[in-house]
Amino acid sequence: MMEGAIISWLSAGVPLLGAVLSLAVWSKPDRLKVSAILVSLVSLGANVGLSGSLTTPPEGMLLLYLLPLAACVSLLGQPVHSDHRPSWIMTLLFLGLGLGVLTNHNVVGQSFLLVLLGSLIALLFRHHTALWPISWRGIGTYGVGALCVGVSVITGPPISAVASLLTCAILLPLVPFHEGHVTALTRLPGGLPSFVVLLLPALGVHGLTTVVTAVPEVAARTVSLFALAGSLYGAIKALAQSRVRLLLAYSSLSFFSILWWFVAAARTPTPRVAVFVGAVGLVTSGLLVAWQVIRTRYGDDVDPQAISGLAFTMPRYAVLLSLLALAAMGLPPFGVFAGFMGLLLTSSLTPSVGLFVTLVAWLTASWYIMQMVQQLLFGVRRPDLRYTDLLRTEFASLMMVILVLLALGGASSNLWGPEQTAPPTSANVEAITWNK
Amino acid sequence: MEQVENRSDIETRRMELRGIVRLAGEVIAQYWPMRTFVHHNPLHSLEYLPFEDAVRRGQQFLGGDGYLPSHVYRGYLKTGRIQAAHLDAAVKPLVRDKHVVIGTHRITHGEVLRACLAEGLCTPIKEPLDDQLPDPSRNLIDRIAANLASVLTFPDLRERIRAIAEGDRAALGRWLTLSHWCDDTFGTQIVRQINDQLIKWCEAFLDEGHATWSMPERENGLYGAWKVLAAQEWSLCGIKHSRRKIARLPDHPEDALLESLDALGIPSDLRQDYLSLQLTALPGWAGFIKWREQQRDYPWQRAYPASLVKFLAIRLWYARELVHKACRNELGIEGRYDAVSAYMQNHPEEYYLRRQRVAGRLPALYAEEVDRVRHQKGNGWGAVIERYRTEVVPRQVVAARRGAARRLLALAHALEIEPTLLTESAPADLKQLFDWVEAFPESDHGPVWLKAFEAGYQDRLLGRMWTQSRRPPADEERAPPTRPCSQSVYCLDVRSEPFRRHLESIGAHETYGFAGFFAAFILYRAWGKEHDTEQFPVIMRAKHEVREIPRSYLDHRVSQHEARTKWVRAGHTLLHDLKENVVTPYVMVESLGWFYGVPILGKTLLPSLYRRCTAWLRHLFVPSLSTTLTIDKLAPAETAEMLAAEQQALVRRALQERTGVRRSRITHDLVEALRQRALNGQENLGSSLLEAAHRAGLSTETLNTLIEALRRDYDLNARSASRHKERITRMGFTIEEQVLTVDTALRMMGLTMNFARLVLFCAHGSTSDNNPYESALDCGACGGNEGKPNARVLAMMANNQKVREGLLKTGIKIPPDTHFLAGQMNTTTDEVQLFDLEDVPPTHRADLSRLQEDLREAAELTRQERCARFPDVRRALKRKNATSHVRRRGSDWSQVRPEWGLSGNAAFIIGRRELTRGLDLEGRVFLHSYDYRLDPSNRLLEVLLTAPQVVAQWINMEHYFSAVDNETYGSGSKVYHNVVGRLGIMSGPWSDLRLGLARQTVMNGDVPYHEPMRLLTIIEAPCECIDRLIARHEILRHFYHNKWVHLVTLDPEEWIWYRYRQTGTWSVIENQSNRRAFTES
Repeated sequence: MMEGAIISWLSAGVPLLGAVLSLAVWSKPDRLKVSAILVSLVSLGANVGLSGSLTTPPEGMLLLYLLPLAACVSLLGQPVHSDHRPSWIMTLLFLGLGLGVLTNHNVVGQSFLLVLLGSLIALLFRHHTALWPISWRGIGTYGVGALCVGVSVITGPPISAVASLLTCAILLPLVPFHEGHVTALTRLPGGLPSFVVLLLPALGVHGLTTVVTAVPEVAARTVSLFALAGSLYGAIKALAQSRVRLLLAYSSLSFFSILWWFVAAARTPTPRVAVFVGAVGLVTSGLLVAWQVIRTRYGDDVDPQAISGLAFTMPRYAVLLSLLALAAMGLPPFGVFAGFMGLLLTSSLTPSVGLFVTLVAWLTASWYIMQMVQQLLFGVRRPDLRYTDLLRTEFASLMMVILVLLALGGASSNLWGPEQTAPPTSANVEAITWNK
Repeated sequence: MEQVENRSDIETRRMELRGIVRLAGEVIAQYWPMRTFVHHNPLHSLEYLPFEDAVRRGQQFLGGDGYLPSHVYRGYLKTGRIQAAHLDAAVKPLVRDKHVVIGTHRITHGEVLRACLAEGLCTPIKEPLDDQLPDPSRNLIDRIAANLASVLTFPDLRERIRAIAEGDRAALGRWLTLSHWCDDTFGTQIVRQINDQLIKWCEAFLDEGHATWSMPERENGLYGAWKVLAAQEWSLCGIKHSRRKIARLPDHPEDALLESLDALGIPSDLRQDYLSLQLTALPGWAGFIKWREQQRDYPWQRAYPASLVKFLAIRLWYARELVHKACRNELGIEGRYDAVSAYMQNHPEEYYLRRQRVAGRLPALYAEEVDRVRHQKGNGWGAVIERYRTEVVPRQVVAARRGAARRLLALAHALEIEPTLLTESAPADLKQLFDWVEAFPESDHGPVWLKAFEAGYQDRLLGRMWTQSRRPPADEERAPPTRPCSQSVYCLDVRSEPFRRHLESIGAHETYGFAGFFAAFILYRAWGKEHDTEQFPVIMRAKHEVREIPRSYLDHRVSQHEARTKWVRAGHTLLHDLKENVVTPYVMVESLGWFYGVPILGKTLLPSLYRRCTAWLRHLFVPSLSTTLTIDKLAPAETAEMLAAEQQALVRRALQERTGVRRSRITHDLVEALRQRALNGQENLGSSLLEAAHRAGLSTETLNTLIEALRRDYDLNARSASRHKERITRMGFTIEEQVLTVDTALRMMGLTMNFARLVLFCAHGSTSDNNPYESALDCGACGGNEGKPNARVLAMMANNQKVREGLLKTGIKIPPDTHFLAGQMNTTTDEVQLFDLEDVPPTHRADLSRLQEDLREAAELTRQERCARFPDVRRALKRKNATSHVRRRGSDWSQVRPEWGLSGNAAFIIGRRELTRGLDLEGRVFLHSYDYRLDPSNRLLEVLLTAPQVVAQWINMEHYFSAVDNETYGSGSKVYHNVVGRLGIMSGPWSDLRLGLARQTVMNGDVPYHEPMRLLTIIEAPCECIDRLIARHEILRHFYHNKWVHLVTLDPEEWIWYRYRQTGTWSVIENQSNRRAFTES
């Protein structure tokens, strides 16, 4: 027991310690970045090494591997610039806290989550601007999330179950608790959004796999309705966006809502859920990194309408962005498709309105994602822009995402953990990890 | 009385409007139908302006660039195609005598301009507000920027906004339509919406038999048809009550256009420009309508009239409705010129933010804020602009300084100055350098580059001609000429040049260059065809008609040939109808679909073999007939006889069709009586007619109906007969006309003595598959057709003994043993085919055989040379391989460059062949033979300069503009081409008619294959003769004074080269070593 706790602490401790040690090279941004990347890789190695000793969560081990990878992708995708130093350190910090949540099944885990949400709130508050007043809603949502974590700790079922479900709905965004997700993806500094887009949903799905079996039928149906509404709402909002980060925030909301619907309907946590969340989170992370590439060249707050014709001028970027877009649209052979098919095939779903809605939301992604890609890659080549194709680190970052997505698409989900086929029972209430 | 005055006032307004529209249409070029593709200058109507001004106008109205991108020119500079000396000479007029000292370096204004050109310092790069790309020079740039801080200041935002708003107010109506303004300010898509609608209507209305279901109501004209049909459409671009509004529009398009202009509030002084802008939104369709409007006899125009006024009446209706809607929705104002102008004046900041938002120039958060304020229709604009001023503008200033520093750093690198010196230099000096760079924007580089680019080619060509040309010996010194093996006359086309060169190198063959229509202005109807082709330059008019008829001794085979041809046509029609029918394709695909696999596989895998097989099959079923041409004019009696025969055939047909009388019962008397009755128009039926009708079993009533039908439906009446007779009398030439034609042709080409035994008039045509631009490869001088009929006409005339007798009187003695031949060169394969060989005297068989042999060899050599230019041919091909390669290209339906011979044209030489004989002119020069000594009155030179030179200039300019901006002046990639309405090309399923040449025709990848340069005309004639002609012809003044064409002359009397200057004076080109003087001039 004691040994397990130490191992859990070890998994979380590597990035946290790395974050602290990296501060030693604070004055040298290039070294700091290398150090952060190395820490994330060491963390990945540690997780792989410790996987045999860690308790396998219901969603499998996949998320434990994906989080350090996503951190590495996010770090690689950012330029070497002193402005990004805080976000690199925060990435490691969030990675440590996230791993802490995933590997600790008790109050410790919830404490990690509380710290994580607190840090998020602080960051969002720090980067709040009057031009973006709705970020208050995001801060508020995460505040509610932190409150729910506290409530779930101090109360018993059924209040704790509902509080846990709400926390999950905030982390793995579900309408109407999605504002935090949208704000985090649009307002967090540097490359943090490209990490957070996987981190928080991963934590959400981790909590959901345990709480879903405990929620009453009425709550599940309500969630199901919210999920369907959310998938359509996210798709429609994404269609209407002109800003890339907002588009991706709503797009991921739409996809995560699909997951919510499946989970609410099937109420069986499986590693396939993790594949879907991992793939959607990672592909969104990749697209955010791709957008970061543009911001690196043309400024943080560049209007995407001002950029076009990159297919000719930045061919490597164009190829990788196109592949990412294909993955994001849910086309084979990438992970999103595999995750979606996995959900469809493992659940005993019959043709219904819900299934139709999810399919519509899925297909709509082809529209807005392609629209975004077309806008950037094609059209008139602007002579007044300076074009520089991908730097090596950016290329590596995007390439990693594509390779991992291909791996997720090709690998069997059993690889990440055993399939759980037992029907949910009330006995599972005891297994809610965020409760006592 | 008042009513009459009103009516006259309306007519005056309409007439005035038509005049304005005609002037507004100047900015768009006519668009000829694809089947007779005519190379032309897309800015032809602006040739009264200097070249640079016209290019600027083209940029303003059409958005087209008039020069290659600077980086392409820089590439030429790097490869040596543009020489540094030429560039220096070209930039010299812009250089001021000023300098700046940086450290110990003295930097002159000229050096800065030179660096701007060669290093691309003026490329308008927008410095991002906060880019984070690693940049080793960042520190240095920041230090230079800091050094500039005190001198590089920027006007206050409000001042800038005010200036922008005022500028846009001034441009509104002149360079900016209200529709564009709405699109730029509100982000609407009004221009696209209107274009889509106009494309839809034009495509349907102007269709020339391509559509399976043609548009109804076309006989009402473009506007009338639109009005009837659009009034039945359910929804038009979201315009409310569109059906009611359209139904209420005036019947006259002029009135509708005036109503729309009034509704938009366009001031009368801006109307011409405003309408020009409307036309240039779709220059292809508008250009075609402009062309059709001027072709009053064009059958499609006669049947379905279209005009620019009608086009604009439709366009402006959409514009006014959509602009009104957008302005109402967004600003709550009327969509009128004055209201929009007042808005810009009164709300400049709001206007600025809206425009910046739509253009994507606002930071993302501000863009969101603008959207929010816009949707709330609130008055938060002031707050946004204030925050923008305090938060964004300072960052913009920093970025602008950084941009300036970056340019100065690049300048220092270009001038090999230590960059750190810039941080220590006086800010005023840096500012001076920066100002010089800024004052020479990239948009000003084009003319300089072009000058240097042209100078390189001109220098090379003139240098080679200089060394080649020898002063002609005086008459007394001249040796008696030897009789050549053959003389052949080719089209002046650049594609003839390599062939002529090779033919001359093989044996004692003399060649001449002449406009490919061979001075025969004819309307030609080939045997079995129903329509005439215009075999002359489009700037001319035809006087004579010529028909191809089977030779008389083949009468017995004609009916068989006709019957088989009819079967083939019926088969084609049946297949077409089955394919296009609503139901039959479902069955067709299943039953006959796989048959299509044969041609698909054949054309794809074995194109040459497939073509040979199909040609063989065609020939097997319908063997070709030997034909001749109707050269001689008919005598009056023959004309009457021919007319009567045609009318009688018509009556016979009517009798069979309308009464069902069997052929055996139709007597000649009946036919003749009916013909006379129909022509005379008398009401009483004569006794002879009644008797004949009775014998045929026709009642009086039937007879009356038949006569009425003959007059009305079969167009058999006195008026039509007169028209028909007039047309028949145009057929053929009198002997005098033939003498004049041959005399003119021979004198113009300088062939008046020492005739060979065989003289060949060689036209040209081309063969390719799946190529809508096929006619672009044919002869431009023959109106985009093959020149074969013209060559045959001239040869037949010249072989006519009576004509030779006539020529003798004009001083041209053609020996009795000289025979004229007609031929045609296939420019895709370089093969020459000879015609009318049955007319060659037996005494000339040996000469003919030798000529054919030499023509074959010359073709092989030409093919080899041409193959070396194809980018997909990596190594030199042997003769045999070259032959099979060009044949395959010509029959390959996926080949985008079946020939690629006309691209590259650059110069036009009018002079004796001695000037260029033996020179490899790389197939880039139009060659017209001319001997000034045979033209004492300059009449022939006048024709050459005002006709062939114009055609050459059109070809040159078509290629020029298609190469410099293929998207605007060319037709883009062939990959996306779709034939529309049998008249033109669209890109994809929905676009404007594409102008100009395809990208693959003028470009080799990203590099121009056709080097875009203005035509250089070189004339061997005395300067004063040319001066007289320039003074006489405005078109020549436009060409030479406005720099559309460069003119150089070799004065044969003084043997001195001159260059014509814009000012109308001549400057001597002294010799090759100081040719620089020529360049600079």
